[in-house]
Amino acid sequence: MSQPAVASSAHETTAALASGAASAPRSSMATVITGELTPPRSPNLLRPHVVEFRNVTKTYNAGKAEEFTAIRDVSFVVEDVADKGEFVCVLGPSGCGKSTILRSIAGLEPQHPATAGDVLVLGQPVVGPGSDRGMVFQDYTSFDHRTVLENVTFGLECQHLPRKQRDELGREWIQKMGLNVDTDAHKYPHELSGGMRQRVAIARTLILKPRIILMDEPFGALDPLTRLNMQDLLVKLWKEVQATVFFITHSIEEAVFLGDRVYLMSNSPGTILEELKIEPATCPAHEMQRQPKFLEAVYYIRDKITTLESNP
Amino acid sequence: MNSSFLDRLLRNWLTLRKPLSRWQALGLGMSCVLLCLAGWWFVTLGAYESRIVGPLTLPSPAETFGKFSELWNDFALTRNILVTLRRVSIGFALALAVGVPIGVAAGCFPRLHAFLSPLIMLGRNVPLAAVLPLMIFIFGAGEKNKVMFIFVAAVAFVISDAARAIMDVSARYIDTAYTLGASRWQTISKVLVPLAAPTIFSACRQMFGLAFGYIMLAESIKIADEVGGLGYQIQIFQRRGFREHIYLIILVIPVVALVIDQMLAWIQRQLFPHVYGGDGMLRALVRITLIPWEHLKSLLFYRRLAAPAAATEERPK
Ligand SMILES: Nc1ncnc2c1ncn2[C@@H]1O[C@H](COP(=O)(O)OP(=O)(O)OP(=O)(O)O)[C@@H](O)[C@H]1O
Ligand SMILES: [Mg+2]
Repeated sequence: MSQPAVASSAHETTAALASGAASAPRSSMATVITGELTPPRSPNLLRPHVVEFRNVTKTYNAGKAEEFTAIRDVSFVVEDVADKGEFVCVLGPSGCGKSTILRSIAGLEPQHPATAGDVLVLGQPVVGPGSDRGMVFQDYTSFDHRTVLENVTFGLECQHLPRKQRDELGREWIQKMGLNVDTDAHKYPHELSGGMRQRVAIARTLILKPRIILMDEPFGALDPLTRLNMQDLLVKLWKEVQATVFFITHSIEEAVFLGDRVYLMSNSPGTILEELKIEPATCPAHEMQRQPKFLEAVYYIRDKITTLESNP
Repeated sequence: MNSSFLDRLLRNWLTLRKPLSRWQALGLGMSCVLLCLAGWWFVTLGAYESRIVGPLTLPSPAETFGKFSELWNDFALTRNILVTLRRVSIGFALALAVGVPIGVAAGCFPRLHAFLSPLIMLGRNVPLAAVLPLMIFIFGAGEKNKVMFIFVAAVAFVISDAARAIMDVSARYIDTAYTLGASRWQTISKVLVPLAAPTIFSACRQMFGLAFGYIMLAESIKIADEVGGLGYQIQIFQRRGFREHIYLIILVIPVVALVIDQMLAWIQRQLFPHVYGGDGMLRALVRITLIPWEHLKSLLFYRRLAAPAAATEERPK
């Protein structure tokens, strides 16, 4: 029964792909629109690129016996789209250098500084970490000695925002993240589940309204259902804070659902092989991810990865 | 029925890490004490000549405890305990006041650690038997040499334990703090030190027990007339041949150590509820006392930082 349906929609996808980037979005469902790398245009002086990599190479332990080049000659540009930040997903095999790219943007050592090339954020070279580039890590990094509220307001505390104001904001964000203000706010991280901890980590980042949010497999350790809920929540909040998001994931479904754009990376030394544009999601994750066109996009990317892997 | 009881008994004793209630733990501990007392009573039973262990080696429990009131009244037991405790507390507090900040700094900055490591090495391996006379040369008779003895004995261990605790905090917490906009000092004071604090505290709690042993050594050297303290008392009893008193003091010391350790454990639980559970009374107290300080900081710094924060708000939509 389902066989013809898949085949026909596969046809449609191919058609959409063949007509290239120019093709207008034909439906509200996720479709892969283009497979071309955007050529880095000269930056508009008023709107510099949000993130730009110019031939970035990172070699760990350079000059020593265990020297290892994690990424080589990576160049890409994320433009500052008016009215909304972009949601960029990065897909690639384990060890291809995804975290390396993300941590270079964050300005964290030892990934920062790059061995060669320039990492620019809003036209300026990255000099170190800062709250304008929030980061959510895969492993739980809640501060164990602080309650949920104290964790969420950590960044505001560092800005010396008076306690009353920051607690108010903190409660608001705890609520927004789907946690219970009365019962959860004064819990310690060890009393929370993995999903709740990641909610705290996201709240603590978003409360600072960063221009760029870097997420390194934030939902990797969550069960599928929690994961879908978190995806919906993230989409909602992302629209609210209007930041550019870099999202690393191993799940093609997650990338297609969340991303406006997906970077496919190759293995050692890592480079970006393909850049795909994806139509934005329009309905909740669990509905969206059942639709045939969504699945087509997923299969398309999966095939792409297989071909890229087999003949580099 | 009999075998099921045996089964249960075996299961309770032989299951790996089988949890037990507070009362069970207390009961088992008490039965060990009773067993030891019974053994003591048995080997010192009867007339002096017919005992398994002679009275010169080990007096009987009755003889020993019979001397308690003499020890308490004539030899001022509580006063001596307090004298000893005061010495060890002051010396140890000094070691903490000097050692913890240096250790934290060394843990944060590896270059400082490398620079200090010869001194730490020396301090950890210094022969205490040689330090004691030196302290007397330098600080003379009296309280100072004993306090400084404890200080010298403990400080290098405090430094290296504090440094290790800081170094053991996972680097990802530093990364997280930095990406949330914390400065280097804020990362040290709000993240590294609080995360390392439980480890530092329990290391120091153990060290305090050791220091309590060392102080006896320092007190057993009599140079001036009135030294006082438990170690000095033992010395006197030894010279006079008061075996019962020595045994009593040996029994009193663990009780005092236990009481102190339990107090420290309570402080530890109340300070670090995120590790030990509970309601964290002392932690709340610390935070409340810090509130005025925090207000002051907000007043001083926030105005200056308000501008960039507002700029983020007004970002072009
Ligand atoms: N600090 C480091 N020192 C040396 N080598 C490193 C370091 N960090 C990463 N690498 C190496 O660089 C390569 C890329 O690492 P990276 O963490 O960026 O991979 P990744 O794509 O994020 O992988 P995963 O999906 O498993 O998280 C890996 O082969 C890794 O062994
Ligand atoms: Mg990674």
